[in-house]
Amino acid sequence: MRAVLAVAGAELLRFLRDKSNIFFVFVFPMLLVFVLGSTFGGGGSQGGVRIVGEDGALRDALVAQLESQDLSADVTSEDDALEQVSRGRAAAALILPDGAESAYEDGDSTRLEIVPTSGTSGIAMRQQVATAVETVQLRSAEVEALTQRGAEASAAESALDAAEERVTVPGVQVRDVDDVAQAFSGVGQFEVGATSQLLLFVFLTSLAGAATLIQARRDGVIARSLSAPVRPGQVLLGQTTGRFAIAMFQGLYIMIATALLFDVSWGNPVLAVLILACFGAVAAGAAMLLGSLIDNEAAASGIGVGLGLVLAGLGGGMAPLEIFSDTLRKVAHITPHAWAYDAYAEIQRHQGGLVEILPQLGVLIAMAVVVLALGAWALRRSVERSL
Amino acid sequence: MGRIWTMTAADLKQRIRDRSVIIFAIVVPLALMGILNLVVGGAEEGTKLEPMTVAASVPSGDDSATAIVSALEGIEGLSITVEEVDEEEARARADDGRATIGLLIPEGFGAGLRSGDGRDITVIEGDGAGLEGQVLTSVLTGTVDRFGAAMVASQAAIGLDVPPQEVAGIAQQVATSEPTLTLVDGKASDEQLSASGALVAGQAGLFLLFTVGFGVLSLNAERDQGTLPRLLSMPMRAGSVLISKGLVSFLLGIVATTVLLVIGGLMFGVDFGSLPAVGLLVLSVVTAATSLMFVIARVAKTAEQANIAQSIIAVTLGIAGGAFFPLAATGLLGTLLDLNPIAAFTRGLGITSGGGGVTDIGGPVLVMFGFAVVVGLLSRLVPNRGTSL
Repeated sequence: MRAVLAVAGAELLRFLRDKSNIFFVFVFPMLLVFVLGSTFGGGGSQGGVRIVGEDGALRDALVAQLESQDLSADVTSEDDALEQVSRGRAAAALILPDGAESAYEDGDSTRLEIVPTSGTSGIAMRQQVATAVETVQLRSAEVEALTQRGAEASAAESALDAAEERVTVPGVQVRDVDDVAQAFSGVGQFEVGATSQLLLFVFLTSLAGAATLIQARRDGVIARSLSAPVRPGQVLLGQTTGRFAIAMFQGLYIMIATALLFDVSWGNPVLAVLILACFGAVAAGAAMLLGSLIDNEAAASGIGVGLGLVLAGLGGGMAPLEIFSDTLRKVAHITPHAWAYDAYAEIQRHQGGLVEILPQLGVLIAMAVVVLALGAWALRRSVERSL
Repeated sequence: MGRIWTMTAADLKQRIRDRSVIIFAIVVPLALMGILNLVVGGAEEGTKLEPMTVAASVPSGDDSATAIVSALEGIEGLSITVEEVDEEEARARADDGRATIGLLIPEGFGAGLRSGDGRDITVIEGDGAGLEGQVLTSVLTGTVDRFGAAMVASQAAIGLDVPPQEVAGIAQQVATSEPTLTLVDGKASDEQLSASGALVAGQAGLFLLFTVGFGVLSLNAERDQGTLPRLLSMPMRAGSVLISKGLVSFLLGIVATTVLLVIGGLMFGVDFGSLPAVGLLVLSVVTAATSLMFVIARVAKTAEQANIAQSIIAVTLGIAGGAFFPLAATGLLGTLLDLNPIAAFTRGLGITSGGGGVTDIGGPVLVMFGFAVVVGLLSRLVPNRGTSL
């Protein structure tokens, strides 16, 4: 066993000494969790409205009304607003012409220009802005109705204020029963991104490391190890354990760092590590298989990175599985990522325990047994060939 | 010139034999485009809203509740069908997506408006809601606000001792008041790529930064292997080696980006627009990307360092340029993002796909060539730690 651990320890040390890993293993995953959490974690507005016009009561009322509709409204110049709408960075621009403010004060008619962005988000935003514009003029309609019946404008204003205090104004309650919204209710800003990045990087780091196996074979490191008083089985087991240690290291680092930096909750820590171990074993096996079947380092590295990215994309490592169509979600479950994703979703978001994640763990273990067996067989064959 | 071509051709032959260039430049980006398009392509934007269905439970004999439903059906430009059902059915239809939304108007809604005790209506957004659901919720909010304003005005009238027979008229007047603020539609030029188009452009840009490395960065590898001093001992100027490596990067970049745009465009039905304009954009972005490699080649001491630096720069610029998801920012950060050649490339393709020609892409092209000039100069100024060229 000591020999196995020594080989595995050497593999992990080599991995940690590789300078490229400082960025890709430590910095990059955190950067992605941060960017994804900041971009998509906050509920995701559709770009908001840019308002153009001189300072005044109308502009202020429109900004306040749009914000009360949960839309972001920023005041900017006309050129900037139109550019942002053209580029899809804002869903609409609302342009108040010169004189709009004084016309609003005097209760005169004014035409405001709305410029929605192309596509459906622009159409939806146009409707929301229309609602806001309609709502801000209700107050003047109220005052006018009262003054027409002989009330002074100031008396009408105070009577309206008093009435607003006295009555219960009807409103609209929105209940979201959408499956996706339900799945993510109560989830922290960075949680889904952190789980996706964990799966992406554990597999990617393992597969990208397949090239070192080829290097070790080419440079005679494995042959040299076999000349020491260890059995071939021990060297193979050490290589496998080394791959597994690298996967676990990457996974544990992401779990601990995201918990500390972004307050990500991983659910029950023992279960979270158990899922990681099962997933890491599949990753280790896949890395062994790739490193044994291919003899060209550059090609193995390319295929490793490519396969790592593609499997992650398909298995929920880039976008949450919940937004996939039903068919695609079924297809996604050919990847170990999707099973691990489901298991994490269960313990992180649905208060699931060991019993609830047993099916996912079972599939992951079965996958791990298959790839590890194939990987060990392929490695033994390639070592024999290289000797 | 003949020597440069000989070296370039030899290098290109070697690179094509090396499977990694095909894998990195073509296979991986196409596979990623396919997968990401499957995943996020479902969110592809249309150009008009789908017809909407509202499953509404409306209390019988309540004129105000009926008026809300009529207001929905009378909106110009939107196709809205209201189906009156009971509350349970309205919830069920919203839940399983048979209706865009469920609308529950409570018993006593109209009476509440008259007595000053307004009651909330409930909108249920289910699996089928989407943008259409937001539009309907917005319309309903506007209508209920109008009823609320009418209620407040009539209650204020009572406070002002307006004769009771006129109070109902005040509510009616506010509820049906003609707007003083009207909206007219303006149009901005369309400079946006579809979701699939953005993926194709972003992935092509990201992997271009890897592809161009196969030319210039082989300087570092040749130095490590000892073939560079051998090359320099030949009877030709050292600059020729540099030019040939740059040419290899440039040609590989042009071919890979063109292949990715063409195949990606065909696979996902994206039309990038005017060929000369797209060609100019490809030329510009490849020039910018190649210039960056010369800086890396000079600063990196070994081939390994060069590859690490290249990977870091590629993924950073690629992600900031929107290779995986659109990244929008305003202010200083927005300007910084705009200076990224990959972002400029994607933006340029947005303009061409919206119908823009060569004259409309001046901004992005300037950013990319400006980047190439600045970085090219930088590559002559930074300390030479790598290739001794």
